[in-house]
Amino acid sequence: MTKNTFTALIVDDEELARGLVREHLQGHPEIAIQAECANGFEAVKAATEQKPDLLFLDIQMPKLDGFEVLELLDPQPATVFITAFDQFAIKAFEAHAVDYLLKPFSEARFEEALTKAKAKCLAGELSVPRPAELSAAARDTWPLERIVVRDGTKVTFINLDKLNYIQAQDDYVELKTEGRSYLKQQTLSSLENQLDPKRFLRIHRSFILPLDRLTRLEQGLTDSWTAILRDGTKLPVSKSGYAKLKELIG
Amino acid sequence: MHPILTSRTRLLAYLLLWVPLGGLLAGLAIMQGWSRLEALALAIPMAVMGAGIYLSPFYLCKVVNVENQSHQNLFIIWGFAAIIDAGFWSGTAWGVARFLGRFEALHSLPQKITPALPVLWSLGVVLYLASAAFYYLLIALQRAQKAEAEHLQLRMLAQEAELKALRAQLNPHFLFNSLNSISALTTVDSKRAREMCLLLSDFLRKSLGLGERKQVALREELDLVRAYLSIEQIRFGERLKVAWAVAAEAEGALVPTLLLQPLVENAIKHGISVLPEGGELRLQASVQQGTVTLRVDNPADQDAPLKPGLGLGLRQVRQRLWGRFPDRCRFESGYENGRHHVVLSFPLETEP
Repeated sequence: MTKNTFTALIVDDEELARGLVREHLQGHPEIAIQAECANGFEAVKAATEQKPDLLFLDIQMPKLDGFEVLELLDPQPATVFITAFDQFAIKAFEAHAVDYLLKPFSEARFEEALTKAKAKCLAGELSVPRPAELSAAARDTWPLERIVVRDGTKVTFINLDKLNYIQAQDDYVELKTEGRSYLKQQTLSSLENQLDPKRFLRIHRSFILPLDRLTRLEQGLTDSWTAILRDGTKLPVSKSGYAKLKELIG
Repeated sequence: MHPILTSRTRLLAYLLLWVPLGGLLAGLAIMQGWSRLEALALAIPMAVMGAGIYLSPFYLCKVVNVENQSHQNLFIIWGFAAIIDAGFWSGTAWGVARFLGRFEALHSLPQKITPALPVLWSLGVVLYLASAAFYYLLIALQRAQKAEAEHLQLRMLAQEAELKALRAQLNPHFLFNSLNSISALTTVDSKRAREMCLLLSDFLRKSLGLGERKQVALREELDLVRAYLSIEQIRFGERLKVAWAVAAEAEGALVPTLLLQPLVENAIKHGISVLPEGGELRLQASVQQGTVTLRVDNPADQDAPLKPGLGLGLRQVRQRLWGRFPDRCRFESGYENGRHHVVLSFPLETEP
């Protein structure tokens, strides 16, 4: 089965820059532009609702940058990053994204990227690495200051102060806050690497605990420990988790 | 070079110092029962001689460094030198006295000088050591002055280097995005594409030209900022609005070069560009009682994680302002009602 039409989404906060991509796509009747978005929120909403095949994505945008947008999309479109200048980003996604274009780019260069993206699309399952890792590597802010999650088509920022704990759920992490919990497609280990180790501790294979939530530790019958949180929640603590806790808080 | 011989005022002061010393010699002689004539006849040539001889410890001071000699060594070197030097001085006094003895009125000088020699010699030793100490002090002082001058020189060089770096730091992001806008405009609106090319050239030429100078009139900084903002206006379209409030009298104020431009770039980078709806960038310049106040303020997204670089840019501006108006300027920045502002104030100085 060969696919001969593609849907595309253009995301850039500058009208002129969007216009340029649009213009380059005009010569390709096989491509239908579904929408143009001027910021990350719109992009996540449009991409979640319309599930485009191709995504032309600017990196530096208000509110939500290109990496964060991609991090929240499932399934992932074949994505071409477009950026003016960003050494870190280029390094990070050189190996992963379908392609990237440096502004300003030539028509030939655009065609090349488009061909790659279409090929990727036709190849079916996109073997893009988990984008949360990608964005962690690309962004120069570490540790993480907020966690971006998608709730349907809506994007939410979780302030790290609001987190009660984080639990692994298969390929997802469940972020428990005071009012509710959020699911995000990311492994617990990769999230652990993005967090400040002085504030967050992996106390168990399946749990990350913000240290300020801990009130006390209870010893179980055998050699096991349980962490009691401020709101009364009980979490299991593994042996290595207990060792780390002891080292951190004595 | 000898510090006393190189400056006329210092030489004069040094010679004047020998007037009371000569007086002291004469006084001592009179107390010993010499006649006034005898005392003066010997004291004057001795003072002149002394003024010459006691310039010499300076050279020894230069060679003998106090810091890397043991106390014992210093004691031996200076003791020896003082003994010889004072011996030479008092020996000369003896010779002079013998010579003056030929004159009728001074015929008893040769007899009188002999018992006075030990006193003269002791005085010579004391003078020698005192002058040595004085020269050491002078050398240390000179060294400190030189170090200060070098430090100042270095600071000036550093400031120049910083300015050069600032000029070279033409924001690549801005440049590439502008070129991309031009690329986009060429097909849809070639007139505007050309306009933007011209604006960009204008901006580049201005900023390259400005960097050559240490300070410029605010008017020129404002021209650069205007050129910059008219390019950003094309890029950001509706998202960027600019409100100017520049008092005419502020335009002539001298400011360190590229003082304002980084602030405006910051306002775009950390303000307008992170807000989906953009907002109004306000630029104010006013003069009140001889003080210029510049204010740049922009809407800000306080929830957005701070992009790296804001602190650095502001710090550079603050340092450069301080470098130009030490102790006479004020720098303030902060958030207020969803807007970020930077306020600079400094004395009004205009081009002559």
